[in-house]
Amino acid sequence: MRLRLSSLPLFLVLGVLLSAALSICGVNAADQSASSFGQIVIPAPAKPVDASHCVEPVEVMRRDHMKFLKHQRDTTVLQGERDSKYSLVGCMNCHNPTTANEEVIRYENPKHFCSSCHSYASVKIDCFECHADRGLVSSQQSNLTLNSDSRQLTAQTFNQKLDPSRVD
Amino acid sequence: MSTELDNIELRPARRRFLKGAAALATTLVAPGVMLYKTGQAANDNGKSIRWGLVIDSNAMSESDVDACVSACQREHGWKTTANSATDAQWVRKVSLRDAESGHQRFLPMMCQHCDNPPCVDVCPTGASFKRADGIVLVNRHTCIGCRYCMMACPYKARSFIHEVLRDQLPVAPRGKGTVESCTLCVHRIDRDGADAVPACAEAVNRGDRKAILFGNLNDPQSEISQRLRQLGALKLRADMGLNPGIRYQGL
Repeated sequence: MRLRLSSLPLFLVLGVLLSAALSICGVNAADQSASSFGQIVIPAPAKPVDASHCVEPVEVMRRDHMKFLKHQRDTTVLQGERDSKYSLVGCMNCHNPTTANEEVIRYENPKHFCSSCHSYASVKIDCFECHADRGLVSSQQSNLTLNSDSRQLTAQTFNQKLDPSRVD
Repeated sequence: MSTELDNIELRPARRRFLKGAAALATTLVAPGVMLYKTGQAANDNGKSIRWGLVIDSNAMSESDVDACVSACQREHGWKTTANSATDAQWVRKVSLRDAESGHQRFLPMMCQHCDNPPCVDVCPTGASFKRADGIVLVNRHTCIGCRYCMMACPYKARSFIHEVLRDQLPVAPRGKGTVESCTLCVHRIDRDGADAVPACAEAVNRGDRKAILFGNLNDPQSEISQRLRQLGALKLRADMGLNPGIRYQGL
């Protein structure tokens, strides 16, 4: 008898909490019916600098870019073919260029061209644990000293660009 | 004594025989699988290429060797940290001192790009490999970081990446859990072929004075072959029969 009396307030509290929770859910359901996708953000990756062309049509790239990159990686490492249009550095040069005055967008940043879709599709890749996740400054965009090949920055200028305070 | 010498002489021959047998088997099973031709080799109408360096220790001061190391660091983005036990070592400075006369000289020591590389023999995944043009590399896509190759290398040329890295350079992807070593500046070689100049050579060569000479060891007309024919050079630990592609003059 004593036990029943003492548990009565507890039931009251639980009941109030349950009704509150249900009402919140109801509000949320109403919100979601207003906007069809609720909180899901459809990725809209940034357009490349030179948006006139990609190495393949967009539909092909969306579906098959990983196959191109994997094939390219083996021919590059084993056979030294570095001029293929499917190089990862080539992708990054257009899609995430390091420009003179902008912040460096890293792969961890959802604004990064690759991670915007990968996070949406729950894809976890480790390309950028080794590879550079941003492109190079082209000779037209920058007055930095370039070495003999205009596609390649020297390491020193490249690092200073990432962190201007750093002195190698 | 004679049996020991015999063994040393036999080992590379035996290895060649076994390799030949393996290559034959592979060709029969899947033709072309073993024939890793490089872009440059293909451009050269199939003429055999073996890239190598001749390092003239007479022409290199201590500061020249330091310049080699720092040029390699700049080119590939590795650096020396406070923890020397785990530092990357693509190239390091070795000093030799004659105790009697006190004469001292300095050498850059890096991957010797052996013809019979022991690192390739021991690699369990095939990540450590020799390209058709003689450059010994680590394919980090298949490297599992077991470090057998580091133990097998008699030149201590390889190092392991212990820490997470950031800001790697596009020409030199490198990351935690893999082994790395001198690539002979393979990205420059793939671009420029026989005209390529590795970063260490670029740092010390001035005009005609080429303290580090890069070239094709298999081409009898190349500058490097002519210099070797004329002046000769030492293969480090030639007794092991590894036939390194890096040769040292003036030792």
